[in-house]
Amino acid sequence: MCLVDMDIGLRNLDILMGLENRVVYNLVDVVEERCKLRQALVKDKRMPNLSLLPAAQTRDKTAVNADQMKKLCEELKSMFDFVLVDSPAGIESGFQNAIAGAEEAIVITTPEMSAVRDADRIIGLLEAQKDQITQYRLVLNRLRPKMVANSDMMGVEDVLEILSVKLLGVVPEDEEIIISTNKGEPVSGTDNTRSGLAFRNIARRLRGEEVPFMDLDVKNDTWVTRIVNFFNPVRV
Amino acid sequence: MSKIAIISQPDQGVLIDVGGCASMQEAISHLSSTLQVSSQFWKGVNVALNLGDLELTSAQVAHILALAKGVGVYPYQVFAQRPLTRGALLENGVILGDGTPMTLPAMTIKVPENPEIEEDWEDESVNMSDDEPGVSIFYEPSENQLITDDVTEHQTEDQADQPDGPIDFEPKAPKAPKAAKTEKTPAPSEKKEEVKGPVQAGVMYLRQTLRSGQTVSHQGHMVIIGDVNPGAEVVAEGDITVWGALRGIARAGVGGNNDAEIRALRLQPIQIRIGDAFARSPDRNRLHYDVHNGPETARIVDGKIKVFKFSPQ
Ligand SMILES: Nc1ncnc2c1ncn2[C@@H]1O[C@H](COP(=O)(O)OP(=O)(O)O)[C@@H](O)[C@H]1O
Ligand SMILES: [Mg+2]
Repeated sequence: MCLVDMDIGLRNLDILMGLENRVVYNLVDVVEERCKLRQALVKDKRMPNLSLLPAAQTRDKTAVNADQMKKLCEELKSMFDFVLVDSPAGIESGFQNAIAGAEEAIVITTPEMSAVRDADRIIGLLEAQKDQITQYRLVLNRLRPKMVANSDMMGVEDVLEILSVKLLGVVPEDEEIIISTNKGEPVSGTDNTRSGLAFRNIARRLRGEEVPFMDLDVKNDTWVTRIVNFFNPVRV
Repeated sequence: MSKIAIISQPDQGVLIDVGGCASMQEAISHLSSTLQVSSQFWKGVNVALNLGDLELTSAQVAHILALAKGVGVYPYQVFAQRPLTRGALLENGVILGDGTPMTLPAMTIKVPENPEIEEDWEDESVNMSDDEPGVSIFYEPSENQLITDDVTEHQTEDQADQPDGPIDFEPKAPKAPKAAKTEKTPAPSEKKEEVKGPVQAGVMYLRQTLRSGQTVSHQGHMVIIGDVNPGAEVVAEGDITVWGALRGIARAGVGGNNDAEIRALRLQPIQIRIGDAFARSPDRNRLHYDVHNGPETARIVDGKIKVFKFSPQ
């Protein structure tokens, strides 16, 4: 499995994964043939099957174009079972480059009005590329069940209602994420965290498994459900 | 890597490159911090500016020029790709850059390569695990204790020419280098390969802290009065001296000068490279930077980067 950091200029997947000190070459070096693709790949220190292609924080954002990305993705596809491209926020050239070689898309949004609206635009752009991108699914991040219960935040159903898109996963707001990013150890590898389990479930769904969704709705917050949730707290 | 790069070559003056900035706002903020903090540095320097592919109006160009003028910088030429920006520059009476702007020196790190294992990409990638030959790993004070045995061992070895003895080096005895690892990728900057011994090109002296996304390079020695933050990069053909904390990436001896040194009041880099050698920080939570060893110097000993406590002669 390979991760491609396309957030040119604001590269940080390497930091989050604790691999910053190993980065020598980056995506633009590969595209401009200063090194071979295989030399630029940084192997994860925990999982030998996971590699990272770091983003160039380099100066020229136009250093990569869609055709080059397509070619790069083709090459990666022949080497890995899964190639995950992290797109920059926004709908500009960085996004267009990120999807250039993609067959599927995962749209990540938070349950905030403005974010959902941006996600809607992104989905519109993805739909325009139907021939190439055959499927797209949604991950709803930073959900706070309590706020949803108090009608202070959109719930999963509300967001799905607006976006009418297939749900891939729901990740709750979790301070463990900050701990794990500071450590450079992705939360998906930690046991006993709600968000970690959410990410592992997403991974399993990506592999085609049927994994039931967690009922984060606390609308029926009676003492009975509270006890049920207490004994059965994590279903994401 | 950089939002703003200061690239200096003795025969061509200095290029300030903001081509990596995504917007006018970003360019302005990097420019103003760079120009103003080190305003003394710019006096009398031949400065060119690269606006890369920023799209700027005449008023925005005027704003940038005013900023430069405020600290005595009058770019003698300005590079820009976008027609709009080029037009705006001409309207402001600026000479457009001729040819291509200077770029940062290319990397010359040794990366193992062996055509026979072409398909076995795992062996070809830059796999810098702790037991990989050719990769040094930094240690900070807390870890030094863990490797005292090794320290004693190495001290005997190095005592002859290094009175202080190295205090930092790899924790594990390196494996005998595999034959495959001795070949190196042809250095991208062939033309600089001949550079040997002390660099004569003079010193670049910069009084400012380099922040994430800022890069400074110089064909010669480099002195920085300030910190080099994580995410910033310093590149020099000669030595690098940081009167402050070095926490980003430093590449000294670019072009193959293996005698180059990197020294800092606090040597806490993410990576350093000297000539063809490479050293990285240990895999560890980097939340705390307040523990340090005091002034240290990194240099190559027996093909590997080692760090020595600084002591005046
Ligand atoms: N589920 C979550 N719970 C808590 N904090 C989160 C969560 N998801 C993201 N964050 C915080 O938000 C920051 C930015 O998230 P990131 O995914 O990098 O955003 P971007 O969309 O810009 O790539 C993270 O570094 C983390 O601190
Ligand atoms: Mg991101």
